Amino acid sequence: MQPVDVARSLSAQWPCREVQAQQLATLFNPHLPSPPTLVVHGISATCKSTIIRGVLSTLEVPHAVVRSSECITGRHLLTKILWNTLEALGQKDEWEKFGKGRCEHVSSLAVLLEECLATRTPEKRGKFVLVLDEIDRQREAPPTLLSALARLGEIIPSLCVVLVLSSTPRPMFLQSIAVPHISFPPYTRKEAIDILLASPVPTVEGLPDEASYHIYPHFVSTVYDTLIGPTVGSIPTFRAICQRLWPQFVAPVVQGEAAPGGGTDWDFARLVVKNRVLFRHQGESALVHRIVPEESAASSKTILLSQAQAEERQAANDPSTPNKKGKRSKTRITKSTLSSAFATSSATTSATGGGGGITGPSTILTARPFPLERLLAVYHAVDPNPPANPIHTPAVSDQIYAELATLRRLRLVVPASGHHGGATMGSGNTSADAGEKWCVNVSGDWIGELAKGIGVEVGEWLAGGLD
Amino acid sequence: MDPDGLEEALDLSRDRSQYQGVYIYQPAKPGKSANEPPKKRRKVSSTGAQDPKSDSQHFIPLLNGEESAEGVQQRLNTYKQLWSEQEQKIQGILEDVDAGVLTDVLSFVRETSPQTCNGCIPTALVTVGSNVSSLSRLLSRLNDHLTSSGEGGVVVLESGDATNLKNSLKNVIRAAVTNTEGNDGYQKFLTDRTGPRVLGYDLDLLNDYVQRKGTKKLVIALRDSEAFDPALLTDLLSLFQSWLDRIPFTILLGISTSVELFETRLPRSCVSLLQGKHFEVQDAGNCVDRIYEALQTNPNGKLWIGRNITSTLFERASDYFQTPEAFSRMVKYACMSHFFANPLSALLGDSKRPELFQGRFIEAIRNLPSFRMYCEDLVEAGSPMEVRNLLENDRHLLGEVFNHLEIGQQRMRDIFQAVTLIHACLQHTQGTKKSTVSDLSVRALAGELGESQVVDDMLATVRAMDSEKLEGVLATLPAALSNDSTLAELKADFGTLLETCPDQEPLRSEYNINSSVTKTTVVQQRIQLSKGKANLSGQDLEYTKIIDRLVAALQEYFTEILIRPQELFMHEAFLFDLRNPLKDNFAPRPRFAIERAMGSPFDYLISSSDADQGQAKISSKQPAAAILYQLYLESGALVNVHDLWQAFLAVFESEEGKKCDERIVMALFYGALSDLKMFGMVKNASRKKADHLAKSAWLGL
Repeated sequence: MQPVDVARSLSAQWPCREVQAQQLATLFNPHLPSPPTLVVHGISATCKSTIIRGVLSTLEVPHAVVRSSECITGRHLLTKILWNTLEALGQKDEWEKFGKGRCEHVSSLAVLLEECLATRTPEKRGKFVLVLDEIDRQREAPPTLLSALARLGEIIPSLCVVLVLSSTPRPMFLQSIAVPHISFPPYTRKEAIDILLASPVPTVEGLPDEASYHIYPHFVSTVYDTLIGPTVGSIPTFRAICQRLWPQFVAPVVQGEAAPGGGTDWDFARLVVKNRVLFRHQGESALVHRIVPEESAASSKTILLSQAQAEERQAANDPSTPNKKGKRSKTRITKSTLSSAFATSSATTSATGGGGGITGPSTILTARPFPLERLLAVYHAVDPNPPANPIHTPAVSDQIYAELATLRRLRLVVPASGHHGGATMGSGNTSADAGEKWCVNVSGDWIGELAKGIGVEVGEWLAGGLD
Repeated sequence: MDPDGLEEALDLSRDRSQYQGVYIYQPAKPGKSANEPPKKRRKVSSTGAQDPKSDSQHFIPLLNGEESAEGVQQRLNTYKQLWSEQEQKIQGILEDVDAGVLTDVLSFVRETSPQTCNGCIPTALVTVGSNVSSLSRLLSRLNDHLTSSGEGGVVVLESGDATNLKNSLKNVIRAAVTNTEGNDGYQKFLTDRTGPRVLGYDLDLLNDYVQRKGTKKLVIALRDSEAFDPALLTDLLSLFQSWLDRIPFTILLGISTSVELFETRLPRSCVSLLQGKHFEVQDAGNCVDRIYEALQTNPNGKLWIGRNITSTLFERASDYFQTPEAFSRMVKYACMSHFFANPLSALLGDSKRPELFQGRFIEAIRNLPSFRMYCEDLVEAGSPMEVRNLLENDRHLLGEVFNHLEIGQQRMRDIFQAVTLIHACLQHTQGTKKSTVSDLSVRALAGELGESQVVDDMLATVRAMDSEKLEGVLATLPAALSNDSTLAELKADFGTLLETCPDQEPLRSEYNINSSVTKTTVVQQRIQLSKGKANLSGQDLEYTKIIDRLVAALQEYFTEILIRPQELFMHEAFLFDLRNPLKDNFAPRPRFAIERAMGSPFDYLISSSDADQGQAKISSKQPAAAILYQLYLESGALVNVHDLWQAFLAVFESEEGKKCDERIVMALFYGALSDLKMFGMVKNASRKKADHLAKSAWLGL
């Protein structure tokens, strides 16, 4: 099969990748020697792995694919490479012969792979392709891993190692010359629209086929120009947004609303004018993935309703967080830090006559770390329902340390030193040294709202006010 | 200063060696090795048959040790019986509370798959708020459902188990396998595999297991997802996503703050891996209220919690992260301390044999405040003979005690019936602020409910009720009230009235807001509003009369029922209201205790001379750390070490004059300073001021 034919057969399913498919098919041609190493690179969702697999299976070249993102350590990756190779060669049951299925170093991998490939029956002896997917994302990879893997193909003549990268490689990153690179560039506007149009139009009940046939191409290109192009969206997001917005876009047609200018004859331009709000609100929110998706409504009337609901839901969620004394202490934390931060900064700014040059939320982010003793002192000051008889009530620290531990666990407050290297600190470690500094780990707005819930106005406690 | 006392003061025992800055070296005395580790005690296996006696020994004889063994046993048994009943009730409530969320989550888990979530991992976000423990109950029941139907299981991953990626994966895999196969099954699973040995964190293992068992849903529950390191969480989730085509993962995230906050903390790439639904677990406060209501309004109740404890309990429940379990533990503790420390609690038991209650016990009853009050009332009522009889005749007294115990318990039940009635009626009001059962109970237990605004509100509500609502209320009236003849008549009249008017429209009394009409008249360009009664039909007037009668009956009922429980004879036996054991145990005050011990050490230490105990000023007889602490309190935020040392030395010099050995005092000073450092009270000041110490703890915070 000629490379052109391979590319053509694949393009039916995965369009706009003919060039790359053709290049791959040429390099993997069973009758011609392959390069020992091949680098395939391109950002995610550009069809790299799919095209490689497609070409390899169309050409019927024996190959093994290892998804490097599933390997936890470098050693894990090497072991996986060995096993997948054995599996692809149909020698899975003979694993004991090859290092007992263990492989701890690249050098031993070279030996073992060579042995595996050498034990093949003569008629099966041809080239073998090893695809390492997302190899640049390998966890705990030794620094020499990539260049070592690239050497494998040089040591073992029948092996071709394909390194699939999702970042653009630096020049000479494999420290060997003349490694062929195949780039999978992001789809252009025309390509992206073509791909979308190649798949069937999402069905909307009650919409005449003719109308969808006329309007859909315009709609897709409009979505691309407004939402996808500016944000460098991938094909899956493009498709998802189109599927989501399409029923709402044609809702006026389906519901038989009167078109502007009389009649029920809707064309694309009229729909765009009618739906310009849709692109602004619904479209932009569609770009940001939320864990809990907002329900997409069928008609424009329900869009408004759902938006109102979503807003309501957000409003309901924020104060629904535990409204406890623990939280109260957190508001105190911000206040303490803020008041200390503001006391100094506002003194300087007001002296120069800036007149409220500080904006609220940005200064909350720059709040300084504070020791716990300071927090306790501030707690006394801001407690919205102070004890009736402060002298006879027990020390407040005894009451709130447990709450503080909870806040710490929820990572709402963090030790200032652990703020940067937080990954290394186990979450079970809740000890605190004397005088250790802490800081708040949530946005000031959130705290402000929370404080309102318990009857504290954060702004009152800041020198210079919140805004 | 004698050297022995000094040694004692320094008390260089082994556990201090970790942090002590200085110590006085003493060569080991021959023949006595002080540092030899204590001989290992032979471990006695406690798993064997437990001594049957040890159980009853938890309770010790009271009344100066003169209480009979039977009495002790009776207290213990009564406590156990009472609490087991209440615990069952609490469990029932907790399960009932979770039931709604459980069905929702279960159906979510069953119905969603990666295909329905656009290739994302199906994710259930469960916000638990302050009700932290509910999630573990939910998860264990979810697991029961899934395992019993063979669909899969729930793997719980805690932030503590997830220190790094390898560990978390290992834990997930092990938990998933042991969930159905048990621990041995996991070992067998590891060894029985054909093929090369797999690393413990390889998800291939899990894949094998899932294929073998035919698992359809594997729920990975991150109970405290906020406590996870975000980077680790991202790694884990991306791994799960990559395996999603082979292992049917569903993620369940427990969130204590809010979904938005959680989402903003994760990287966008991680959020885009997840899609799902949001579930909310009912807030703990509601749950606690229900538990309290069930315990107190129990129609067969024997023991009630008093007003002080109730308010303490609810204060803690509302001010702190407290789970319903913690709440019930506190109630349990209160209940237990009643039976543990109050000999009268034996009266609540089943056995009422007079032999149980003799001698000291009877004496104790005669010393009760409520007994005195009762006697005084009797004298005032003009029956001194009865009082004499009570004081002299044990048998008669015991009879009266049991009699009044019954009566008192009945009165308590009535009080709480009235509380539930008021609460039920108040549910019909339009107002936003509704009193909870706990609020009402606190007032009722203090004897204030009868005169409070709440009762007036409630009666106003009843007046405004239409006939449909009234029918419902009449049906729920407590038995004590409905046995009354006036009420029976009232009910009958109401029934006949309803029969005579078969209209769809419910009847309204004249107090109902719909029955009054607002008139507007314009007088001299001013609008005057005047309210007048709308014309009521005859049936409505009839209905108004019935309402009036009902309200009168209720008023009478409340004044009779809502008394102060503290006025009941023998309330000491069935009403527990001591706040102290509860407060001390559930809200300890470590910092206060340390500050007090350091500030006035003779509050805790036994001194040879009485003079030491009373005096407040610093003296060399106090432990060195305490002396230094008091000097430290006098200093500012920064203190020069040399000044501190001079002051410390002066304390010793002023009391011991020339005898004072400066070197030993110096050793004491160093020891004391390292103690303070260990407490976290001082730390070294900045590098510039190497000779200064910084204060890091202030008194009274």
